[in-house]
Amino acid sequence: MKQSFHLASRYLIWNRGQSLTVVLSLAIMIWIPLTVRLALHQFEQEIAARGQSTPLVIGARGSRTDLALHALYFETPPAQTVPFAEVDRLNRSGLGTAIPLHLRFRTQPNAAGESAPLVGTAPEYYEFRSLQPARGSLPALLGDCVLGAAFAQRSGLTVGDHLLSAPRNALNLAGDYPLRMNICGVLQESGSADDHAVFVDVRTAWVIEGIGHGHQTVNRETDPALLLEADESQPVTASAAVLPWLEITDENRDSFHFHGDLDEFPLTAVIASPAGEKQRVLMLGRYADPDHSLHCIRPPLVIRELLTVVFRMEQLIRFASAAAGVVTLLLLGLVLRLSLKLRREELQTLFRLGCSRTTILGLQAAEVTLLAVPAIVTALTAAALTSDVASQQLRTLLF
Amino acid sequence: MISIQQLLFEYPASSFRMQIPSLQIRSGEHTAIAGPSGSGKTTLLNLLAGILVPHSGSVSVASTTVSALSSSQRRLFRLQQIGQVFQDFQLLDYLTVLDNVLLPCRIHPSVRLTSQLHSRALQLLTQVGLANTAARSITRLSQGERQRVALCRALLLSPQLILADEPTGNLDSATAQRMIQLLISETNRSGATLIMVTHDSSLLPRFERVIPFDSFLQPEEVS
Repeated sequence: MKQSFHLASRYLIWNRGQSLTVVLSLAIMIWIPLTVRLALHQFEQEIAARGQSTPLVIGARGSRTDLALHALYFETPPAQTVPFAEVDRLNRSGLGTAIPLHLRFRTQPNAAGESAPLVGTAPEYYEFRSLQPARGSLPALLGDCVLGAAFAQRSGLTVGDHLLSAPRNALNLAGDYPLRMNICGVLQESGSADDHAVFVDVRTAWVIEGIGHGHQTVNRETDPALLLEADESQPVTASAAVLPWLEITDENRDSFHFHGDLDEFPLTAVIASPAGEKQRVLMLGRYADPDHSLHCIRPPLVIRELLTVVFRMEQLIRFASAAAGVVTLLLLGLVLRLSLKLRREELQTLFRLGCSRTTILGLQAAEVTLLAVPAIVTALTAAALTSDVASQQLRTLLF
Repeated sequence: MISIQQLLFEYPASSFRMQIPSLQIRSGEHTAIAGPSGSGKTTLLNLLAGILVPHSGSVSVASTTVSALSSSQRRLFRLQQIGQVFQDFQLLDYLTVLDNVLLPCRIHPSVRLTSQLHSRALQLLTQVGLANTAARSITRLSQGERQRVALCRALLLSPQLILADEPTGNLDSATAQRMIQLLISETNRSGATLIMVTHDSSLLPRFERVIPFDSFLQPEEVS
């Protein structure tokens, strides 16, 4: 057998161009369906696990899929908001735990062009998702933020660095201003969408939105140009010349305050974790009324519906891969047949010298092995290297 | 002893017909077969090697009746008993010179490629003046050099019968004499029988026996 492999390897090296073409054709034929299978499997597992770990999500009535993707993957927020009072109501009802989510902003792209969704939430979120800081701590103060592991790695940011929020509309001078946030921690890798996000306290998110702010002291002793009304019988009214603080520091933190009713402050979704099955049913019942402005969705169900689309796509890809595989095999068969025709003289020489049919078959088997093994190794390596990227691309493509 | 009895051979769809009533060649004998082109010299070598099978009659080499063997038995017989030098060399382009010489042991079911065989191949190449081309591709050799490589391949396993079909056809007379000397000394050393087809009359005195193929057999006469 060793001799067969020696002769086969000599032949393949001599015809290296053709050999390489055959190896690459075989490798691609294996690699594409294998990568698709691996990527889909990885994607299915990840999305199903995320869905399973999120029992209920409450949000403004609209697309169930959009709300699920928003709460689970921090995708585009629904157009309507949920009042913060809903979190309070649920927590006080004893039906379970409600976790607020506020996601209307992203971080400003840094020099490397890296940006991440800015998720305003409560400390319960980290416990609910089992997120632990790998470095530093979770955000405890207004203006602090904690980075997802993948975003920290991509952006090169770490504890002690600063990050700016991106205003939704740079031309709206009366709108939200970018807030310079202090990075207080980096989360451990979780293999989920949390790795790619930046988390702040929900109050920080409201500051970014402009509901809360801090600014220099405005009273009758300060610059009169900052006051619209300086009448001693009336409360002071500041002019637009008073600039809000763009960074929350130890010195100015106390000056930050919120205007309006806290109960009405906006959230984009609420994750609800019922205390038990009965509470889950009761919670669903609360939002079952079609006239209710909010609805409660079951992410595992929504995700299962989404996965049927993925399965259909997988079937299509399998069919396409099988068709491409058959064509490739037919072409390889043709190449092999033509090659054997061209090698008739060589086979005649071997027969004339006394080579047995078994040895000839052994030689051909050695050649096939020497072509198939590198093709399979190449395909497996390529699949291992690309399935992660393919899985991410698949998520981008689907969502 | 090589023995041919009542041999009849025809190529399909051809007027060629070979008929040999009786031919004996002693073991260890050096025999030259001379004759014009198309007289069937190469056919005779192929019948002795079992590459061709007669329609009737028998071909025996030593105690083996080659014509009675099956196709796979004839192949094994060739590999074990015969060293052949073909008119068109039949070397493999994708192998080096050394690999071409070693080919019989690479395709042999029971011979292992040992360091002794490796040394013997190099020694044979040295004897034919090709020691420095051992690692070179066969395609880079001249016709004469290829013929010498084919000769080394035939001698590698010290076979009992060497069938050489014009092995000096592409060589100058001095090199041809050297090659014949190598063939004769190698067969003398191993006691092998040598049957060589040649057109070169200057080589005939080196042989113990010359069979003038045209006088022995006229295809036209028997057809």
